Amino acid sequence: MTALASHAAAPTGARSRLRRLADSERFLAWALLAPAVVFIVALVGFPFVLALLYSVTNVTVGTQSASFVGLAKFRQAMESPAFWGAVRNTFLFTLVSQALVIVLAGTLARLLMMEFRGKWFVRLLILLPWVAPISLGSIGWLWIFDSIYSVINWTLRHIGIFGPETWPIWLGQPTLAMASIITVHVWRMLPLAAIIMLAGFSGIPKDIHDAAAIDGAGFWRRELQIILPLVLPIVLVAVLFGIVFTATDMIVIFIITRGGPFDSTQVLASLAYYTGIDGGDLAEGAAISLFLFPLLVAIAYLMLRLARRTEVT
Amino acid sequence: MSEQKTRGVTRRTFVKAATAAGLAAGLGPFVIPRRAQAAKTLKILQWNHFVPGYDKWFNNTYIKEWGEKNDTQVIVDNVGLVTLNSRAAAEVSAQKGHDLFMFLWPPPVYEDQVIDHAEIYQECQRRYGKPIDLAVRSTYNPKTRKYYGFSDSYVPDPVNYRKDLWDDVGMAPDTWDDIREGGRKIKQKHKIPVGIGLSAEIDTGMAMRAIMYSHGSSVQDAEGNLVLNSPQTRECLKFVKALFEETMTPEVLAWDASSNNRMILAGKGSLVLNAISVTREAENKKMPIADQIWLAKAAKGPVRRIGLEHVMDVYTIWKFAANIEGAKKFLVDYIGNFRQGFLNSEFYNFPCFPSRVPDIKQLLAKDSKAKPANKYAVLTDVLDWATNVGYPGYANAAIDEVFSTWVLNTMFAKAATGATSPEEALSEAEAACKRIWAKWKEKKMI
Repeated sequence: MTALASHAAAPTGARSRLRRLADSERFLAWALLAPAVVFIVALVGFPFVLALLYSVTNVTVGTQSASFVGLAKFRQAMESPAFWGAVRNTFLFTLVSQALVIVLAGTLARLLMMEFRGKWFVRLLILLPWVAPISLGSIGWLWIFDSIYSVINWTLRHIGIFGPETWPIWLGQPTLAMASIITVHVWRMLPLAAIIMLAGFSGIPKDIHDAAAIDGAGFWRRELQIILPLVLPIVLVAVLFGIVFTATDMIVIFIITRGGPFDSTQVLASLAYYTGIDGGDLAEGAAISLFLFPLLVAIAYLMLRLARRTEVT
Repeated sequence: MSEQKTRGVTRRTFVKAATAAGLAAGLGPFVIPRRAQAAKTLKILQWNHFVPGYDKWFNNTYIKEWGEKNDTQVIVDNVGLVTLNSRAAAEVSAQKGHDLFMFLWPPPVYEDQVIDHAEIYQECQRRYGKPIDLAVRSTYNPKTRKYYGFSDSYVPDPVNYRKDLWDDVGMAPDTWDDIREGGRKIKQKHKIPVGIGLSAEIDTGMAMRAIMYSHGSSVQDAEGNLVLNSPQTRECLKFVKALFEETMTPEVLAWDASSNNRMILAGKGSLVLNAISVTREAENKKMPIADQIWLAKAAKGPVRRIGLEHVMDVYTIWKFAANIEGAKKFLVDYIGNFRQGFLNSEFYNFPCFPSRVPDIKQLLAKDSKAKPANKYAVLTDVLDWATNVGYPGYANAAIDEVFSTWVLNTMFAKAATGATSPEEALSEAEAACKRIWAKWKEKKMI
């Protein structure tokens, strides 16, 4: 009888333990955090540690074994003019893109704060470039900039801005090619920055605007001395996000220019890929990709500090 | 308890449902019964062929027939050519992947990861006769004496030109000087440029090497020593600069692997170097321009008439492949059936074992789609003017890296546009080559 009772009680006991577990705050917190932790460790932490290890070895795509070579791969990368060109291009690409993104996102956010019909639809449209896969968007832009079928050239010619002999080769001239990839990147980053800024602008209490109006503050005074200081922490978060995304991105360049013409749009991320994967020198590719790491660590530190400053206590 | 309720769903229910869904997704594939399968599996990765009919035949007919005969389920994954390198690197890194991996260029950098393919060559030679020299030079490392791949076919790279435009200026593109002069005249008269790539892509790599080899220049000599810095290379740089300035537009600096086709089929180009996918696409789509696009042999330079293969099909079998024996048998059998491959690729893939298409001359001389019917006859003696990447030596790991990182493409583009002087461009390229050579010598692969 006792044996039978304990047998019957077993499932009930297990069920109640499961029930208690499901109600436990501590368990739930870990269960919900676990996928993010696994994701970061597997897709960010592990490759990063691997890149650190690769960069001090002579590993290639075709070998599983490697010897320790110290900083030789970093020196090797720095001997190449292509590397210094990529450093210059990375800074140019990142800084110009972000400057444009911030100005345009600020303007867009202010426009989106206005009341008008179909506002939700406009917001949805603006978010699309961020939501859609970047590779798909870049392929679309590739056709927009195509040397034969460019819709920009066709339109500008048909509305009379370009003459019959004018047909810019967007991706075939270094300056235009850089302008093209910056345009695509701005198009891609604008929605996120605009939404972040919109949150910042929306967070300013209406009382402050009213007080400024009563005190007779003009447009510039209101913008520069009241609104800007209030939204600055959030704007900086948008800038820092943008810098990290832009400096480490290679998809736009990989699809649109492949670093050309003659390396004039090559950035560190794309050079690392071409050297490591296409060229087969994984070690040098890893070394190139790590050059931005100290700078990005500093930026990440700033981000965390700013995030703490913007916390509402 | 009621505090934890959110619109009727308790936290407990949510955790249970999420756990159940996770378990179902994770275990489902192992639990759900599968259909009966063949005893063995053979997985192949290869590119999306430029002639779609080839993939249709290979994927839907050939592998099914072969699979039935060999009690094997054959699975083919087709990928874009630009992703081949990253897929190969991923498979090696994971030590898992396809049984047969097809590259479109020699992949000596993976030599340590692949089996010695000598046995396949030997068996094919026993059955079908000798392979062509081009195949051997694209898959054999004389330093390690290992075949790091097996080439079933190569693709000729003729000159594709607009017959009407070239007739109009009274010329034919037979030599590189003809191309420069005729191209200039056509551009002046019709505002239609020549389209030879100067970009970071495969066609440019082939075209620039064709110019170099025909001018007596090369990256390495027959023994594999670096000889890029030579008076002949300087001449080539000057020639390409003149060719670019006189006959082309900057669009060649943004070239990709399909730009050749787009340009000439849109009627916007007088001449390109490409495989016959240009003419085949025009014929298959019944484009009026098809009859005006003619083919010529690789152009003759001051030293010789020579060009590259446009694409070198190289199958490799990883050491970690699950079905090595099946992969070997597949290749040997495929060579046996290669005539079908030649026909279904519409003459795009040429045989590395010539005996398998004994009537190739007759086929090329009379094509049902071409106008004139003998348009493709110009390819009959292709082996007299097509060579391998790495000429006059073998394709090796250093040559592969120079090719894949577009060292020569960048050198020519910089010199042609005046971004640097020809001397500076050569000096930069030579420095890059020296670094690459030193690296692979240290690894004892060259």
